[in-house]
This record gives sequence, C-alpha cells and structure tokens, in this order.
Amino acid sequence: MPSDDKPKRKKPRKKSELDSALDQVGDESVVAATKEFQDLLAQAKGDTTELIRQNAEELERRLILLKQRKIDKEDFDYFVENQKRDLRVFIDSQPAQAQERAEKLTLHLLGMAATKIAPLLLAMI
Amino acid sequence: MNLNTAKNFIVRNAFLCAAAIVMTSCGTATINKTGSDAQIEGLRSFHLAFIDEFAVPRKRFNAAAFEARVNEGNTKFQQTIANEKFTARRPVLIDLKAQFDADAAHLRSKASHGKVTPALATEMKKDVNKIYDHALGR
Repeated sequence: MPSDDKPKRKKPRKKSELDSALDQVGDESVVAATKEFQDLLAQAKGDTTELIRQNAEELERRLILLKQRKIDKEDFDYFVENQKRDLRVFIDSQPAQAQERAEKLTLHLLGMAATKIAPLLLAMI
Repeated sequence: MNLNTAKNFIVRNAFLCAAAIVMTSCGTATINKTGSDAQIEGLRSFHLAFIDEFAVPRKRFNAAAFEARVNEGNTKFQQTIANEKFTARRPVLIDLKAQFDADAAHLRSKASHGKVTPALATEMKKDVNKIYDHALGR
C-alpha cells in the first residue's frame, strides 16, 4: 500500500501553557533541568496508571495557577506535600519492580516541580 | 428416630445455625459500614465549610472564631474516632484528622497574615474531597 511506503513521522506533542512558559527559559544552567521535567511530566501524563496521570495533570494545573499568581509558593508547597503523602501509600502498595518507576513519575516529579520549576516560574513573572 | 436420622438432623441444624450467624454478621457489618460512611460524610461537610469560612481573600482574620471552629472540629473528629464501631476505619479517620490539622495550620498561617490567595479555597477543597473519597474507597 502506498501509505506504508511513507516514512512515519512522530506526531509532535501539542504544547501546553506550561510548556510554552518553560520554553522561554534561556538560562543554560536550568535548561537541562527544565527539559528533564517536561519529559517526565509528558511521560507521567501519558501513563496507563490513573493515579500517576492524575498527579501529573494536577501538578501541571497548579504550576499554571502559581504562574498566574492565583496561588503562592507557600500554597504550592503545601499542595505538593499533601500529594506526596497521598502517593506514598500508593507507591508502597505497588510491586517492588514497579515502585522505582512510579516513584520517578510521581514523587521525583513533584520534588523537581517544587525545588526547580516553581522558583523558575516565579522568577519569570 | 434411628441413629442416622438423628445425625442428619444435628448436622442440618448446625449448618443452618452457621449460615444464620454468617448472614447476621454480614448484615451488621453493612449497617456499621453505612453508619460509618455517614459519619465520614459529616466530617467532610464540616471540613469543607471550615475552608469556605476562612479561606477568603482580604477577609479580616478573626482569631477567636477561627480557634473556636478548630476546637469544634477537633471534638468532632475525636468523638467520631472514639465511637467508630467499624474498627478497620479507625486508621482512616486518624488520617482525615491529620489532614484537618494540617489544613487548619496552613489556613491559620495564611489568613492571619492576610495572604489568602484567590484559588486557595478551591484547591484545598479539591484535595479534601480527594482524601475523603479515598477514605470511602471510591
């Protein structure tokens, strides 16, 4: 079939409001961390486990609220801690081989958001 | 009555008794769980109303009213924990109380410094609803 001969191109991911903001980061020292965060977030948002997906979506929404100043850093950190408490139970209930991945896509992602991405977004305002 | 008939009679009655005990205990567990669910829903309503009352941007902080409401909440949670008949629910109620304590501390700090942000109430209530839904196994 003719369509099979065409090289398959990977459909580019639609940029979110958060991606657009983070793409404006010019500082070389934080570009790598920002890129790592964006990749992890995209991976988590596309995960098959509902809780991992929900956490990523919620995190992205709250980063946008932070950027829009509808919540402040104190509120953001508070929600991150709430989320971590909730997720710890979920991770501990996972089989040992799945725990590392789940932790990376949830707790590690939340940690990066609180320590690197949130201060970056606030500095951009 | 011969020996065999007597044995059958005893076995049958023992089986019926066991079945009745199982059915009754299941019924009791259901009633307990339903009552326990209602208690948790009551705590949820109180918790959400507490946030609505104090997570209001630019509202003057009334420390006395705030502490009175926190004390009311503490009493409610402690009573519910003490009266919980469905014992498997106790750790869950303790987790809900911990969330109430954390929310009260966060709100006290924000409201007393006039730093309540526009989306705070909505976001806090979102987390509260999530933890109560988990507590109810939803």
